[in-house]
Amino acid sequence: MKIKWLRIDSRLIHGQVANNWVNHVGAGTIIAANDSAAKDDLRKTLLLQVAPGRTKSYVMTIDKTARCYKNPSYDNLEVLLVVETPKDVLRLMDAGVEVTQVNVGGITFKEGMTLISEAVSVSPEDVEAFKELDKRGVKLILQQLPNTTASDFMNRLKSKNLL
Amino acid sequence: MVAIVIATHGNLSEALIGTAKMIFGNMENVAQVTFKPGEGIENLLDKYQTVSEGFEDDQILFLVDLFGGSPYNAASRFVARKETMDIVTGVNLPMLVEVLGKRLAGGSLEELVATAKLAGADGIKSFKEIFTHQKLANSAEEDEGDELG
Repeated sequence: MKIKWLRIDSRLIHGQVANNWVNHVGAGTIIAANDSAAKDDLRKTLLLQVAPGRTKSYVMTIDKTARCYKNPSYDNLEVLLVVETPKDVLRLMDAGVEVTQVNVGGITFKEGMTLISEAVSVSPEDVEAFKELDKRGVKLILQQLPNTTASDFMNRLKSKNLL
Repeated sequence: MVAIVIATHGNLSEALIGTAKMIFGNMENVAQVTFKPGEGIENLLDKYQTVSEGFEDDQILFLVDLFGGSPYNAASRFVARKETMDIVTGVNLPMLVEVLGKRLAGGSLEELVATAKLAGADGIKSFKEIFTHQKLANSAEEDEGDELG
């Protein structure tokens, strides 16, 4: 499996991903790797309902995504992979998925989180996971849309006094 | 890159572009043309001429609101003798979003026209109609193995 783009986006499959990023990165397959969505029959069904018709889309658990990643029959499959949190990226890596770069695209604000940009908020748990990703040499890019500014995510955390 | 002109009665064109920015950010070679009370075909023709001069390409797709309305009628006069331009009526957000996506993927004028017609109609759905025909996911079964699904 060739991961053309790995994005953290708490809305998983929605307009920005389904209509813009997937065209931009040229992936024919979208995988939303998320345990709670994959185990929720209704949410999974509804996420697949909004996936763009010309793209193959899947909602799978982190473990199953990692198993498919290692399946040689998908060696040439070009994938846009979407996860909800940085912790899920770590879980994918721990399960053997090779990750060099992550697009931090959208994390919806909830109580107790710090606003980082218009589209991204982080919880203390997220910050720890991002620190670990950084330690492992993963490049973290803050970018909402293909044609909006891309900036270094760790620098942004630093400027917000979160490191 | 094929340029896109959204031309509508009132401020709809402006709002459609503003909304599309939520998905695509700032876009190049996209222009809005409004048609306000008191204006006529000549005003629209002037506006089409002005916006078309701002594009880097002579290929233009007009997305207009109503077939037979003034934005359409003026556009049809503007486009009639130009092979590099076309008009699609009934502009809506599904149409605009799909056309912009197709354009990012390098779509030609003909491909954008086909996408516009398809997406404009295909974007109209009833939840119940889809849902009653949709196979509900079975997560317990689907979490097995190493095959996609």
